[in-house]
Amino acid sequence: MSGTANECVSENLGDYVVVRLKGEVDLSWSQQVRKTILDALGECGKVGVELSQVSYIDSSGIAALVEGFQNARTKGGKFGLVAASNPVMSVLQLARLDKVCPLFASIEAARGA
Amino acid sequence: MNAMPASASLSAGADERRALAFLADLSQALALSLDLRETLDRALTRIADFMQAEAASLFLLDAAGVLECRICVGPVDITGLKVEIGQGVVGRAVAENATQVVLDAQTDARVNASVDAETGFVSRSMLCAPLSTAQGAIGALEVINRRDGGLFAQSDAEILRLIAAPAALAINNARLVQGLVEQQRMKRELELARKIQKSLLPKRRRDDFPIIGVNLPAHEISGDFYDYFDLPDGRIAFIVGDVSGKGLDAAFLMVRAASLLRWAGKSGPSPAHWLTEVNVELCKTMTDGRFLCAVVGLYERKTGTVVLASAGFPPALLQDDLHFEEFPADGPPLGIIAEAVYDERRIELGRRALYLFSDGATDIRDENRQTLGADGLRALIAGHATLGPEPRLRALINDLKHLRLVDDTTFLLLQEPAGKAAHRVLELEFPAQPAEMRAVRAALRAALDGQEVAPELRDRLVLVVDEACTNVMRHAYCGFCDQTITLRLNRERDMLAFEIADHAPAIDPARVKPRDLDDCRPGGLGVAFIDSLMDEWRIEPGRDGKGNVLHMRKRITIGEHE
Repeated sequence: MSGTANECVSENLGDYVVVRLKGEVDLSWSQQVRKTILDALGECGKVGVELSQVSYIDSSGIAALVEGFQNARTKGGKFGLVAASNPVMSVLQLARLDKVCPLFASIEAARGA
Repeated sequence: MNAMPASASLSAGADERRALAFLADLSQALALSLDLRETLDRALTRIADFMQAEAASLFLLDAAGVLECRICVGPVDITGLKVEIGQGVVGRAVAENATQVVLDAQTDARVNASVDAETGFVSRSMLCAPLSTAQGAIGALEVINRRDGGLFAQSDAEILRLIAAPAALAINNARLVQGLVEQQRMKRELELARKIQKSLLPKRRRDDFPIIGVNLPAHEISGDFYDYFDLPDGRIAFIVGDVSGKGLDAAFLMVRAASLLRWAGKSGPSPAHWLTEVNVELCKTMTDGRFLCAVVGLYERKTGTVVLASAGFPPALLQDDLHFEEFPADGPPLGIIAEAVYDERRIELGRRALYLFSDGATDIRDENRQTLGADGLRALIAGHATLGPEPRLRALINDLKHLRLVDDTTFLLLQEPAGKAAHRVLELEFPAQPAEMRAVRAALRAALDGQEVAPELRDRLVLVVDEACTNVMRHAYCGFCDQTITLRLNRERDMLAFEIADHAPAIDPARVKPRDLDDCRPGGLGVAFIDSLMDEWRIEPGRDGKGNVLHMRKRITIGEHE
């Protein structure tokens, strides 16, 4: 998994934007992740971050997710974490964010929420 | 008339030749005998015939020093008849170790008339020769009444004395052989008992096990024992016991006590309760003033804590280099008072050494027969203070073996083995740039895998080290720069020690504090991660006064997932 290239792509589904993250989210590019998420929220009030291909995330990556969550809440939008991988879940738990951020198993579930 | 002396001398010469032939024959039969009892049986009949006696009997001294008729021939059976030494003709022959000649049994004061009265046999004339050996008479050979009605002559007494010699020799040899066989058998049985006892002692455990036991029996068998075993919760239970008295019965009691103590300790009870339970059980069955001194305890390696309770056992000795502390018994020996109450004590062992030893250790005598005593024992232990636990105990035992063991001696040494020198697992110096971290994480992950750290813990340690490094980049170096960070990972036994060194201006460690994780906000998580995962962490100035070093330590359990 650590061989996966880093990637952060947003996909507009009309009424919903999916941000797909891949690789190891760390300080070297977490600002780019942060910007992509905030841009997506600006574009559309409903954003899901797809995390199934994330093999590592550090606190700067978590911070980007938290910022997105707080941003959406302030604006009355929707923000969800989708299909979080085990490494992501583990850090979310460590940061005690697993009970705060809405977690969804699939994009469909996140959109329907 | 002329012929008479010639005939007499001729007859005497013939008698002598006949006697010599008989004697040679008898000696050979006895010497070659495979079954002495049967040989003596037949020999006695032949002796009676040869001596022309109506009756003959063989008396032997028994263990109690009483003469007993073992074999007899004649009209009445007196086998089993007992005679005190000095009593009657037989008793006198043995007491004086001299042949007795009774020419008129009816009037001779030496004769015990009660035997005749009881048996109805009428003794007229007797000869009795002692069975002489180098250790004195072991019995007597007696013949009664000549068949022709005549009296025994002095020459007959002489012949009987000669006949008695090879009989005594054969019986004595047989007894010596039998004694040797018995001794050999006892020796074999004691060796077997010793083997069984040794098999009850726990096998020596390697791999840094913190307890070493030694049992030095003063004789083949021992009243001392020790035991240790793992409890399901990871604690180690240990026992040392010393049964009062010596010999076989003490050894048997030791076997019983050892299994009772082990059984009662299996559930990991508090040591005080453990002793109480065994004491009640032993009081039900112990009699004849026997008792058991014992110390039992539980040791938790994680915390380095010992809890122990002692029932009349010599004081436990805690050694901190050259300093000693003693912990006396917490109650009376086991098996005396069923109502006895035991206390227990907690000892924070840390890296110190705890010695439990039976009183044989201090009863050891030097060449002047002076006992070693507690002070002498401490001095011996202190003399080897620089050695690790195992070589120290070996050196101590070696000292003791040069002295004289008077009692069974048992040692139990409880001490964590000296840590193997910390070894470097990883050292990486890399530019203080976030883009470097991916490679650093990969290297650290591989290093932790090499240390068999469980995957979940490994990933968290990688995260925490990453957080620490990026904090250095952001806060110490204040952004991207051309400086480097050095990451070192050392392993000391079950401890992982991380060092993250930078060359940045000194920071104020007091300002680096973990935030509250329940507070949901984007930043400041890194220190919180470090604080929640690591057993300890601190920031110190660099070695040459420049830069900062973050030290983090984490104890790991090999092969166990968190």
